Amino acid sequence: MAQTLSLSLQGLIPIPLRERLQSRESEIWLQDIHWTAPAQIFLQAPSGTGKTTLVHILYGLRNDYEGQVHWGSGEIRKMDPEQLATFRQQELSVIFQDLRLFPSLTAWENLEIKRMLTNTISEEELRSWMDRLGIADRSEQAAATLSYGEQQRVAILRALLQPFSWLLMDEPFSHLDAHNTELAAQLILEVVTRNQAAFLLLDLDDNRHFNYTQKQIL
Amino acid sequence: MKATNQQVLLHKLLLEGASAKRMWAALIAMGIGLALLLMAILIWWNFNELLRGRVSDDSLGSSFLTVSRKVTNENMGHPEQTVFSNSDLEDFRKAPQVEDVGKLQSLKPRAYMSMQIAPGAGFSTVMILEAVPDRFMDKRPAEWEWLAGKPSVPIILSSSFLSLYNYAFAPGQGLPQLSEETIKALPFRLEIGEGNGTATYTAHVVGFSDRITSVLVPESFIEYSNGQAAANQPVSRLILKVKDPSATQLNEFLESHNYVTNSEMQRWSKLRSIVQVTAGITGGLALVLLGVSLLVFVLFIELTVSRARQSVQLLQEIGYAPSSLRKFLYKNFLPLLGLSIAVAAILAILSQIIAHVKGSSSGLHFALIPGWPMWVALIFVCGLLLYQMKSAIGKSLSGR
Repeated sequence: MAQTLSLSLQGLIPIPLRERLQSRESEIWLQDIHWTAPAQIFLQAPSGTGKTTLVHILYGLRNDYEGQVHWGSGEIRKMDPEQLATFRQQELSVIFQDLRLFPSLTAWENLEIKRMLTNTISEEELRSWMDRLGIADRSEQAAATLSYGEQQRVAILRALLQPFSWLLMDEPFSHLDAHNTELAAQLILEVVTRNQAAFLLLDLDDNRHFNYTQKQIL
Repeated sequence: MKATNQQVLLHKLLLEGASAKRMWAALIAMGIGLALLLMAILIWWNFNELLRGRVSDDSLGSSFLTVSRKVTNENMGHPEQTVFSNSDLEDFRKAPQVEDVGKLQSLKPRAYMSMQIAPGAGFSTVMILEAVPDRFMDKRPAEWEWLAGKPSVPIILSSSFLSLYNYAFAPGQGLPQLSEETIKALPFRLEIGEGNGTATYTAHVVGFSDRITSVLVPESFIEYSNGQAAANQPVSRLILKVKDPSATQLNEFLESHNYVTNSEMQRWSKLRSIVQVTAGITGGLALVLLGVSLLVFVLFIELTVSRARQSVQLLQEIGYAPSSLRKFLYKNFLPLLGLSIAVAAILAILSQIIAHVKGSSSGLHFALIPGWPMWVALIFVCGLLLYQMKSAIGKSLSGR
């Protein structure tokens, strides 16, 4: 794993939110930041502070911002779609706040389509992970018919089915109860450690899901 | 197993919403359009091959013309005015459409042919014998050789003479009609010259020509019989190999020099115009059909990908490269397109084989394998269809 992959932000500000974000204090927006793996970072982000926007910018989903985002030495905005795909397969994984599952596929198919992309996790291991998160019996159910909590656990597992140096998590436990959150956090930590990776978790409120190495306010 | 599952899931996400009916309609129309286009090209090519005499056995003889000077009241008594000089031959070589010029040499001494059917019964006739260079012959049987001293002379008879005998002469005279085989089996006595210098040969008909309306013997025989003195004598008939016997410039050249030719060729020229118009219209309609079906196919691809837009986007978000999605779509659409093209090509090749078989039975010799214009068109259309398919997939995936 490329555990030395760093993340640098230089004067970053999303253009549509510029006015709103400039009017308040932030430890991230418009700052120069440099994080190196393996770091476990928590960004506390109250509503309307651009939490999801930041995740999307870091993941290369949007380019409407000023400033720069560098993963290692490469600026994400300059990656072409093919480079971005390789980067997402090998270095960067994400748990979206809005989950983004394929509604017509079953829970198992949603995971398989990701697992087969890199084939780094075996089918057996995936089954055992599903079992640990309590969704093994939902394998054959269409994602659209799963509860939000079940969908979120599928989305968490999907993010772990690839090699990565960084894991981005946008409110990853928002639909889970305390018990299921603990199970999911444990599994995430195991896989992050195995990958010698870093993570960046963004949530509304402070929490103790992980022993964060840094906590900052967005 | 892995690949299959992944393909199945991608198929489920990207192609499940596709309308199979619309796709097959487009592919069938494309196949028909392409087949019609290829057939139109084959019609055009086959007829051109026949007219230009490129087929080894030039049945129509349409690219060969025999030319002579017109006999008029003014030059009637002056045979020297109806012959071609060497400079005339040069003019012909430079004339439009002319590819080759040959002399039709006639036998100068008197030729007398006879056959004894039974003791005291038989027939005899004075004959006109001519020769052309071998390269102008449409049929050259194995026996078509004559060397000085050889007692047997091969003859090639115009097919029209046999028809004239069988249908116009024999019935009226109470004579039997004769097949080509029977005539070939008959030995004739051929006497050349008069008095003491008469040379006697046995003559055999060895073949029939559609191209040259004459009684032909090998050039070597005419040269030998005419003797050294006659070797460089001017001739009164020429045979021309022309690219296009119906070409206006050629006809103007012939008319301006007061030359006459076998006007029957005009018939083929008219027929060719009709065939070309027919092939042109068929080809035009085929192009329209091909164009419309290609458009439907391209729209089908665009619509399919557009319906799966959300899946395409999400696949890329979880790490699928646009190139791998493109490859997946190519793999799915290419065999369908290939099938459509293959069916069209097979239909066109079959039509050529049928033309070859049917043509042989009616004396028209078409090639068994389609000629290069069809292959060029096929390769071009394949390239165009592939390009359009790739471009439609690429554009749809990038959302342009």
